[in-house]
Amino acid sequence: MSTVPTTGPASLAPEPAHAADAPAASPRASGTRSRRGGSGGLFVAPFMIFFGLFLLVPLVYGLWMSFTDASLTGHGDSSFAGLGNYAEALTDSEVWKSLGNTAVFTVLSSVPLVVLALAMALLVHANLPGQWLWRFAFFAPYVLPVAVVWQVWSMMFQPDLGLVNNFLGALGLDSVGWLVDEKWAMYAVVLVTVWWTAGFNFLLYLAALQAVPDHLYEAAALDGAGAWRRLWSITLPQLRRTTGLIAVLQVLASLKVFDQIYLLTRGGPNGSTRPILEYIYDTGFTGYRLGYASAISYVFFAILVILSLAQFKIFSRKEA
Amino acid sequence: MSVTTTRRGLLRGAVAGLSAAALAPALAACGSVAGSVSSSAGKVRFWHLFQGGDGALMRRMLAKVRADVPGLDPEDTVLDWGAAYYTKLAMASAGGRAPDLAIMHLSRLAGYAPGGLLDPWDTALLEEFGVPQARINPRVRALGRFEKQPYAIPFDTHPFVVFYDRTVMDKAGLLDSDGRLLPPESPAHFLEMAERLRERKGKLGPIMGLFNDTAQAWRMFWGLYSQTGGAFDLSGRKPGVDRDKMVEVVEFFQKVAVDSRSMDYPAGVAAFTTGQSPFIFSGEWELPTFQGAKFDLGASPMPTLFGSPASYADSHSFVLPHQDNADEGRRRAAHQLVAELLKGSMTWAQAGHIPAYLPVVGSKAYAKLDPQSSYAPAAEHPAIDPPAWFTGAGSDFQARMCSALQQGMRGADSAKGTVAEMLSGLDFFLSKPNPA
Amino acid sequence: MSTQTVPSAGRPPVSAPRRRTSPVPRGQRSSVRPGPVLGSGPLPKIVALVVLLAATVLWLLPLAWGLVTSFKSETDAATPDDGWIPAHGFTLGAYRQILDQGNLPLWALNSLLITVVVTALTVAVSALAAYGFSRTLFRGRKALLGLTLASIMVPPQILIVPLFREMITAHLADTYWAVILPQVVAPAMVFILKRFFDGVPRELEEAARIDGAGSLRVFWSIVLPLSRPILAAVAIFVFITTWNNFLWPFISTSDPNLMTLPVGLSTVKDSYGLQYAQSAAAAMLASLPLVIVFMVFQRQIVKSVATTGLGGQ
Repeated sequence: MSTVPTTGPASLAPEPAHAADAPAASPRASGTRSRRGGSGGLFVAPFMIFFGLFLLVPLVYGLWMSFTDASLTGHGDSSFAGLGNYAEALTDSEVWKSLGNTAVFTVLSSVPLVVLALAMALLVHANLPGQWLWRFAFFAPYVLPVAVVWQVWSMMFQPDLGLVNNFLGALGLDSVGWLVDEKWAMYAVVLVTVWWTAGFNFLLYLAALQAVPDHLYEAAALDGAGAWRRLWSITLPQLRRTTGLIAVLQVLASLKVFDQIYLLTRGGPNGSTRPILEYIYDTGFTGYRLGYASAISYVFFAILVILSLAQFKIFSRKEA
Repeated sequence: MSVTTTRRGLLRGAVAGLSAAALAPALAACGSVAGSVSSSAGKVRFWHLFQGGDGALMRRMLAKVRADVPGLDPEDTVLDWGAAYYTKLAMASAGGRAPDLAIMHLSRLAGYAPGGLLDPWDTALLEEFGVPQARINPRVRALGRFEKQPYAIPFDTHPFVVFYDRTVMDKAGLLDSDGRLLPPESPAHFLEMAERLRERKGKLGPIMGLFNDTAQAWRMFWGLYSQTGGAFDLSGRKPGVDRDKMVEVVEFFQKVAVDSRSMDYPAGVAAFTTGQSPFIFSGEWELPTFQGAKFDLGASPMPTLFGSPASYADSHSFVLPHQDNADEGRRRAAHQLVAELLKGSMTWAQAGHIPAYLPVVGSKAYAKLDPQSSYAPAAEHPAIDPPAWFTGAGSDFQARMCSALQQGMRGADSAKGTVAEMLSGLDFFLSKPNPA
Repeated sequence: MSTQTVPSAGRPPVSAPRRRTSPVPRGQRSSVRPGPVLGSGPLPKIVALVVLLAATVLWLLPLAWGLVTSFKSETDAATPDDGWIPAHGFTLGAYRQILDQGNLPLWALNSLLITVVVTALTVAVSALAAYGFSRTLFRGRKALLGLTLASIMVPPQILIVPLFREMITAHLADTYWAVILPQVVAPAMVFILKRFFDGVPRELEEAARIDGAGSLRVFWSIVLPLSRPILAAVAIFVFITTWNNFLWPFISTSDPNLMTLPVGLSTVKDSYGLQYAQSAAAAMLASLPLVIVFMVFQRQIVKSVATTGLGGQ
């Protein structure tokens, strides 16, 4: 899933909740570590083998490829290209355009994915009957494979048959070529993304809400604080850290969008929705230029690292 | 709590999974749970991109082969046509475990790096199965060669043609006594003919339906430009083209498009089938759709307006995707399958395509096929995309040319401006290194 | 290094759903305290209920539409304004077609096989590594731990090109292994598990050690049983994301017989061309397994996402 890749890591992670289920931890002391130092390496070895072969090796190999003109068709006989690929990437208008599309997508999708998820979680947390149904409705889309999301929504957006245009028609509005009109395609893929993944943030918020200590509300109730007052002065402040984390992770996830856009529009019409990852795919596999695609990957990686560090900095300053 | 038991169940599942992982080398050996890479010699994994009417005909042809030739077992996979198809095919070939046989547009051959991603055909083997090279349309066959090796065996030619309503055309005096389109003598003459069609009450003249499409405008342009005999050389760093002739063609294009400037592909098809317009420039592959219309359907090759006859065309060809360790028996089977499909291509002609297998085109049965036989001469003057690594069916190049041409067609740009825009597109592609 | 790239390490939990109240079921708890969001009185509740219902309907609408379309005939499905009740009645035809000629069952089997193997390997390898990092000393431990944690920043998507080339070089392209192996690397899961092990008391292990049990034995018979909840959470999370993973399986397989459900559905077409009812039926069948799993295990899945979601994303 593009927004939540399997091996997809993030720079931030909380303490596991279940630590609390275990009996109180004893203070760490190096003396209590296994004295059989030798076996430790064996525990770590299997993971490190995978890690080395499928993360470190490609990371270094990709960097090497980015300085060559490696091609999908050549049998490894590529020649050194120096910084040529990077120079080309910086002047390639399609790189900038797809980076721009990625940025637009990130902004357009992240805001509703955080705000809407929070609103849903607040409503569901209000202890209304039907908890199971709400959670099912909002989270179920998240467990669907992207191919299903794509098929259902291409039907929804179908100009003549689709539910979306039928609905517009009922309101007396003109039908829109959602996935084929440059003006609308980006909004269409954002809409699909919000529908598909909002449930994930919703669950995170729901968990955070349940962790807000009850005594705060009890105290507020004694003070006679109304619902709005409690929301603004207890719930939201208590969720600040969670919101920060969710926002940071959401932005990073949105920047890595590929699946749903590739399937819904193939980056079109006229490249108006093509994200940077699809440009990497198009360049490397459709256009055979593996070396150049690697260089663009590294440019994108650098941007991601800088953004994560910046976000982390802003975030930790706020917390301090 | 029941949760604990399920957790235990999950763990047990994980352990079971681990033992599955231990068994997995056995799985890898058979390739897939379906066991597709078995050694049965007659199996041919065949990728193509035929859907709809074409797909149904191909399915019928494959079924016939299975019935006629015991032991030959084609396993066909249909993939989405376009860049996605060629990307997957290239990735499969680069990976070394490609399908045994695939369909490819001939126009893509130059860009497909035949040397790296395809294996050449054994023409002697094809002859052994009853298809000597001489029986295949020589014009398209020649285009399937690369470095003197045959890499693509053409299955058909599918040209850009004109379709019309015979009754309306006849009333306008535009058909000869055999019901064939009277040849226009010049672009001006053709426009005059168009005017005559437009005189019918409130109806449209000739239409094309290429707005927002990423191929049709280029197909139309390329066919007409090829008639001028102008150069279109993409081998250097600068395009070697005849700018004046390009302008001339675009100007004609602008005039003939007046009735369909903002018509997209489906709208064009609909306008023709519902009788709003009696004349459409389109691909012969729309024949099955048009045959559903309630009028006397006629067709002709693209009229010769600029000197010598030529129509844009492409060809579905058979290729052998590169395999690291090609199995001798399966290669043989692939050759046999292609021979059988070529010999049976009378069925294929029903879709409108002109078979590349000459005995079929020369047969009496084909002559009776109407209107297929009336545009069959188009296969003698096919204008296939100019050879370069970036051209061909479904390429960015075609899309870029189309967007320039549409600007000109809509009147948003002059003919000269349109040509300048096309040339800047060519400069862009020529500035990129050939990745193959 | 570790505490720098991972700010929450060594701090109180950020947002983890740690229950700080008595283990009273949530439904009952609400009656003894004012709702945290709504005021008292019936009106706000009714308003909230209406809003929720409306949002739920909106959210389920696309799926409902897909479901209805899958039971239509192709003619009705392709008729504009056919609406929710098809003109020619409901039919199972699309499902029959799909199951008769499609590769759907094969892809589902591939998905299951790949997901189970990836999940098992990931959990096993990550748990071992996490325990090693948490409990044992060995040369290079600090460096390897730092490397593992830093790599959480590397998005796997930027590795597609070199990984594909690597698979070709290793002659693994278009095999199950090409799909499976790279997905097993999940540094974030190692991190989550390590933090759990850090919190497990050592006394039990020490006692076992005195009895002469080796490290592996201690891990297997003492630590693992204690860790079931977190292992389940990680396993569920990895299972869902692997089942739905698209990009890498899409790149690493070209042979339709090796494809997973999401890849097969979106790559291989039907020679009939676009058929709405069949597409919808395929989509419904493909979503069925996880939706059923979700219906049955909702509580555990919710918990798993809450536990691993922030770390595993």
